[in-house]
Amino acid sequence: MSDLLQSAAPLDEEALRALAEREGMRLDGRTFGQQAWARLRKHKLALFAAGLLVLISLSFIIGPMLSPYDITQPFPLDRILPPSWAHPFGTDAIGRDLMTRTLYGGRFSLLIAVVVSVLTTLIGTIIGALSGYLGGWVDALLSQITNLFLIVPALVVLIVVSRYMRSVTGTSILLALLLWPQIARVVRGLFLQYKNQEFVLAARAAGAGPARIMFRHILPNTIGPIVVSATLLVGGAIILESTLGFLGLGVRPPTPTLGNLVNEARGQLLTRPYEVLLPGTFVVLISLCINFLGDALRDALDPTTGRG
Amino acid sequence: MLAYTLRRVLATIPLLIIGTFIVFALTSQVADPLGPLRLNVNADQAAYDRIIDQYDLDKPVPVRYVNWITSAVQGDMGESAAYTGTPVFDLVSERAINTARLAIPAFLIIALLAVGLGVYSAVNQYKTSDYVVTGISFLGISMPTFVFGLLLQSVLVVYFQRWFGIKLFYVAQMQTGSIVEVLKSHTLPILTLILVITAGESRFQRAAMLEVINSDYIRTARAKGLPRRTVIFKHALRNAMIPLVTIWAIDFAALLGGSVITESVFSWPGLGRLLLDGIGRSDLNLTMGIVLLIATLVVVFNLIADLLYGLLDPRIRYE
Repeated sequence: MSDLLQSAAPLDEEALRALAEREGMRLDGRTFGQQAWARLRKHKLALFAAGLLVLISLSFIIGPMLSPYDITQPFPLDRILPPSWAHPFGTDAIGRDLMTRTLYGGRFSLLIAVVVSVLTTLIGTIIGALSGYLGGWVDALLSQITNLFLIVPALVVLIVVSRYMRSVTGTSILLALLLWPQIARVVRGLFLQYKNQEFVLAARAAGAGPARIMFRHILPNTIGPIVVSATLLVGGAIILESTLGFLGLGVRPPTPTLGNLVNEARGQLLTRPYEVLLPGTFVVLISLCINFLGDALRDALDPTTGRG
Repeated sequence: MLAYTLRRVLATIPLLIIGTFIVFALTSQVADPLGPLRLNVNADQAAYDRIIDQYDLDKPVPVRYVNWITSAVQGDMGESAAYTGTPVFDLVSERAINTARLAIPAFLIIALLAVGLGVYSAVNQYKTSDYVVTGISFLGISMPTFVFGLLLQSVLVVYFQRWFGIKLFYVAQMQTGSIVEVLKSHTLPILTLILVITAGESRFQRAAMLEVINSDYIRTARAKGLPRRTVIFKHALRNAMIPLVTIWAIDFAALLGGSVITESVFSWPGLGRLLLDGIGRSDLNLTMGIVLLIATLVVVFNLIADLLYGLLDPRIRYE
């Protein structure tokens, strides 16, 4: 190793391999991505979850195109039909095919969930990075805002603001504004952990400014946990969207989302429970798959969890 | 310790003020006490003036907020418009008791279950039993509260009655008469709260326990020949439970503040539904009364958690 430290010139792969052999070490030529994939492949359950997730997403995207039924057009002759071959999920009180509506609703729910996850991760990462790296008043402000989120019931904000923004975009933005402190806390912790390590000090000594250090030097090290949090957020967002719909505060009907479908069917719980349980099952399935996938990603993206 | 407590209490006051002001401003935005008058063609200017005067509508929101908070800290929370002039204080305290009927038993069971499952899972890490517990807690995390509540109602009440002709539980009513009635009406909402909250807490306990089990002092304790049971329960668990105290404080405060979803699924006359009702009907005084209670609960339980931290962990000292 001492040779490596003394030689300032970069070593080519040949020399590295020779050096490693002399020192009794194994040189792993794979990139970080390849190693992570090798570790992920060992989690059979997570791969199954990912496959199921792809299948569900495809059925959301393609399903409504193949269906012969319209999603909003009432068809009074076919009111409240129980599940059958023609209508696998039955029909609702004004004769709309519930399978078509569920798949189409799933499309909106999933879209909202992904947009929320991306937005939340962006906002949370920037604020978390600033707060962790700069500390001082920025950090104090963030911790006070986090406390404020505990005190002000989310419901109050949701009910008041949802009067003005109940489109797909509006609901997404609203959820992102409520969720970003979760990511910010994770990112802040990581930045605190890295900001006094040698590579950061070296970068600072070499004259790098705070923005460069934060986003070029520290951020790449935090990608793993951020990706994991973003994945789990998709699950959290789909649950929140359906809960908003259940309370009648989500995207304005007649646009179907999984939450809106549950809300419409709520009154029939005692007579036709399947109308509530079917869209609910999709929410649970998606969120469950995402949790298993996120948990496996946590292992796979952590460079300290062995060589896989 | 006393000085620390005092400083913490003082530090939370600005937070409480800002928090309640945000809610006040938001709710004022949608509340319209003049609404009913506008529908009444016979309403004269005097009637308008009376309402304007009663709610200070001719003054800006910050002034109205100051008026509200000065009477609130003196114990006068005003009257509820939605509940025809009932004092907010009476309304909130009545509903708070109903919420506590669910919150206290649920919390006690959750605390026991979460520690038990977390420790069990951590001790058996990567064994089948760990995977089973993990699987169930993932299901709990992935299940929206309303889905679980509705599932319980449809399976244990609707289908059970169809198949066996017995009505196991009440749907959507709170009964407080005999023990049987209490059980029939309280069990399902409590069960819902337990599943949803235990899932997250047991994962947290598992992680905390794993971290302690893999630390040096536990290896030392095992190496000098102490029985496994002693090491796990006397050495490891004590330290692994410290971080859980914070989570307990947050969850218990949230439970006592009323869980909106569980209460609306089971039509429970608690704080959560009252809040939903208050904002939905633009009842400013009612909304503010509940929010003040929730905010106080959060602040108080956080403080208790911080103080407990100092007692449980001798490494933490408050100056």
